[in-house]
Amino acid sequence: MADEPQEYIKVTYTKPRPYRWAAGEYLSRLYQECRDNKKLMTVRCQHCKQHVWPPAKVCGRCKKLSGNDWVEVSDKGTVVQFTYTNFPMFDPHAGRYITEEYPFATIDIDDSEIYWVARLEEKDKSKLKTGMRVQAVWREEDRGGGLDHDILYFRTIEE
Amino acid sequence: MARRVAIVGVGQTYHKSHRPDVSQMELVNEAVRPALADAQLRMKDIDAVYVGNMETFEGIYLPDHSMVDFSGAYMKPGFKIASGGTTGASILEEAFHAVSAGIFDKVLVAAFEKQDSGDSTGAITAATTPAWGKGQARGAIHEFAKQALSYIKHSGATEEHAAMVRVKADKGACRNPYSHLKLGLKSVDEILSSEPLEYPLRLFDFCPQSCGACAIIIATEEEVRKITNKPVWIADTICVHQEIFRAGAFCDFTDKERYSQEIAAERIYKRNGITNPYKEIDMAEVYEPSDWEEMLIYELFGLCPRNEGWKLVEKGITEIEGEWPVNPSGGVLSSNPIGATPTVRIAECVLQIRGEAGEHQCTKDIKTAFATALGGPNWTSMILLKRSL
Amino acid sequence: MADRVGIVAVAQTKFQPNRDEVNAGELVWETIEPVMKETGLNFTDDDGNGDIESIVTCSQDFWDGMTISSMGVMSFVGGHHATEDKIAEDSLNALFAAYAQILSGHFDMVLVSTHTKESMGDRSIIETAAMDPVMMRSLGLDFFIAGALQARRYMEKYGVTAEQIAKVAVKNRGNGMKNPVAQEPMNITVEDVLKSKMLVDPIHQLDTKPVSDGSIAMILAREDKARKITDKPIWITGVSNCYETHYLGDRDLAECDALVAAARRAYKMAGITLPAKEIDIAEIADEYSYQELLWMEGLGLCGRGEAGRLIDAGVTQIGGKLPVNTSGGMLCGNPTVVAGMARVAESVLQLRGEAGERQVPGASVALAHGATGAAGQHQCVMTLSNK
Repeated sequence: MADEPQEYIKVTYTKPRPYRWAAGEYLSRLYQECRDNKKLMTVRCQHCKQHVWPPAKVCGRCKKLSGNDWVEVSDKGTVVQFTYTNFPMFDPHAGRYITEEYPFATIDIDDSEIYWVARLEEKDKSKLKTGMRVQAVWREEDRGGGLDHDILYFRTIEE
Repeated sequence: MARRVAIVGVGQTYHKSHRPDVSQMELVNEAVRPALADAQLRMKDIDAVYVGNMETFEGIYLPDHSMVDFSGAYMKPGFKIASGGTTGASILEEAFHAVSAGIFDKVLVAAFEKQDSGDSTGAITAATTPAWGKGQARGAIHEFAKQALSYIKHSGATEEHAAMVRVKADKGACRNPYSHLKLGLKSVDEILSSEPLEYPLRLFDFCPQSCGACAIIIATEEEVRKITNKPVWIADTICVHQEIFRAGAFCDFTDKERYSQEIAAERIYKRNGITNPYKEIDMAEVYEPSDWEEMLIYELFGLCPRNEGWKLVEKGITEIEGEWPVNPSGGVLSSNPIGATPTVRIAECVLQIRGEAGEHQCTKDIKTAFATALGGPNWTSMILLKRSL
Repeated sequence: MADRVGIVAVAQTKFQPNRDEVNAGELVWETIEPVMKETGLNFTDDDGNGDIESIVTCSQDFWDGMTISSMGVMSFVGGHHATEDKIAEDSLNALFAAYAQILSGHFDMVLVSTHTKESMGDRSIIETAAMDPVMMRSLGLDFFIAGALQARRYMEKYGVTAEQIAKVAVKNRGNGMKNPVAQEPMNITVEDVLKSKMLVDPIHQLDTKPVSDGSIAMILAREDKARKITDKPIWITGVSNCYETHYLGDRDLAECDALVAAARRAYKMAGITLPAKEIDIAEIADEYSYQELLWMEGLGLCGRGEAGRLIDAGVTQIGGKLPVNTSGGMLCGNPTVVAGMARVAESVLQLRGEAGERQVPGASVALAHGATGAAGQHQCVMTLSNK
């Protein structure tokens, strides 16, 4: 008996846990503009005057209400960092493994304090360079799934 | 008037990637028993039990409830704290407040992670505000890939420097019976040729996912006298949160923002009359999910000027035999039972101060040390420990 | 002589379901903004200068559907470059933690914020996740079912009747008519309760609370600061908590040993020897109506098995000798986790003389109670005073 390796029983439990999240007042406005007008909007904090990204009712750095100075945000920017994954990762919000085929980049959005991490359309790693100019590519149909859904990726542009 | 508090017992499990032989509760018990033995106390002597764990990692809601017979909390007061990566230190901080206040005299804190029961990366991805982060499956690895890119840009450090940190960690791990990864690394080439994870991180640049638990017992001054002649005093604790950096989560690409680590260090040094941490503190156990992050940590906690952390690595200063050892235990790079990781950092400092770290004991005499924890969008906890106050 | 810790400001949202127009942070702001304004205190700045150096939040990752759920509210509670910890039990425990932070001398003032939006998740799926994953989870056992088992056992052991239990629902929903933040106040009779749909025997629809969303914020301060902030500080005189065993079969569910232990420790701190006489009002976590009776006994407000007789005699009505749940209790609609602080909020209002139509004249000592987990596995008790 002592020579047999012990069998360890595993109990598996798979049950979806559904949630209904509210985007809230400020994020809803951004998502609405994305869905209806393919426009990026956020609020400039009335105190520090910086873009609050994602838009939020309270500016966390000022610890005060951000206010209602809604401004349009450019959909163009410059890549300051890029990276790419080499293995599949589990996305709990999607409930499945995603093998990320696209590279990710931190994009310095024009005329703002916003640095946005998003996918790049360019899959050829040898073509990726910091400093390259990119522009958002919108999903043409069925927008309204939030920013990561409504914007497919950022495309390299000549500028 | 605040009472003085010391650590009188520590216990940890042998951290491994899979523990099919124990349930989550048994795993915690494996750390609780040695902590009690170390303090030469029985569970009946303990006044309260604080448990730390991030529930979504194992998919168990209120884990402190199901493990009440194994953590020893049965019929005792206690709390469950869940504040992200810093949880393992938060439990000590909250217990410290309560014991200082005179509410309890002897408290056991325990933290754990049983990574084989769930998906940590998935759970970390679930920390993004749901309406905002949906669909962006990236976890912590992505954030540390960005941190590495930022660090390279600002400091000029090279992959070889990061790899040297990894080799140092493994040296410590091979001498530490509790650590998870003992790779026997001989040269930086082994790291540079390991599998790519997320550019520029390779497999060995990043911490593993470990199953493990750690328990610490603290007591008030009067009790300490009765329990041990090797108390390790909690001189001070601090926890600093921050808004997420505009350009990054753990590293500010723009180099314009202040880090919670700098702020925590500044405040705790000031409160404790420390003007030269390099001279007045002897070592640290820090929370470094990647080797790149460790170099930045040296700078943020004031061990060297900004952007020069890699120089300490080149000169071997942070090795076990070095002038200012960092993570002689092998650190988080060798063992990462996430919830317990900060608790392990504290426990390792305790062993060093007592001179009981065996083969991974630092060459220099350790009288004062600090342990750090990292969590959320770069939140910091810092615990300052001393042989005598 | 230790300094005392006082509650200097309280704000509650009106409890409602389906607060879909706000996210967690915005919901929390509804109570943060008023307590900050009322006290004139400020958050700390980038250099750490300011009044609120420490924040204790209280929410559950499983309910928020978010790992580190405090991240969702951090911007709204002044967390930047400040200290924050999240207590993951009923929010009465968050007040306990804040109390310890101040009593230790490490902080002068602490902001406590709790929230839950029950409408966004599935209660049963979430609660089953708390049961032992290997032995109990596949039974589909949740806190409702555990409560029903407890109710049935309690009724059998002590002869408590369904009518007596229903009286709790009648009393509390009636009290809720006088509470502007109550979600589902109702004027009902015992017959209404007993005729309402039987959900999990012996618990009827009207014995349960509605799904609720809400937040509460409070500011605690050390005595010297508290007296400068408000002329009506309410002192925390005693507090403790305690765990019971997890496996329902190991417990006699008609008993609540953990509650007895927690209450004893809290009363000792407060110097209360005869709770039934010395306490003027009690706010007790009545997630299901039978719980008010059972917890009253565990709290020592009457002997074992006697709470039914007390409610028959009208002792716990507004106007009775020991009013219980003048707020309307959890039954009128408090979200889980938030409930504990709702008990304290009412206690504070009563002790300040600000409870309007619900006011118990001359109330000076209050008892607040919160429970977490299956059949109240974790119990927390707090006593408060205005003297």
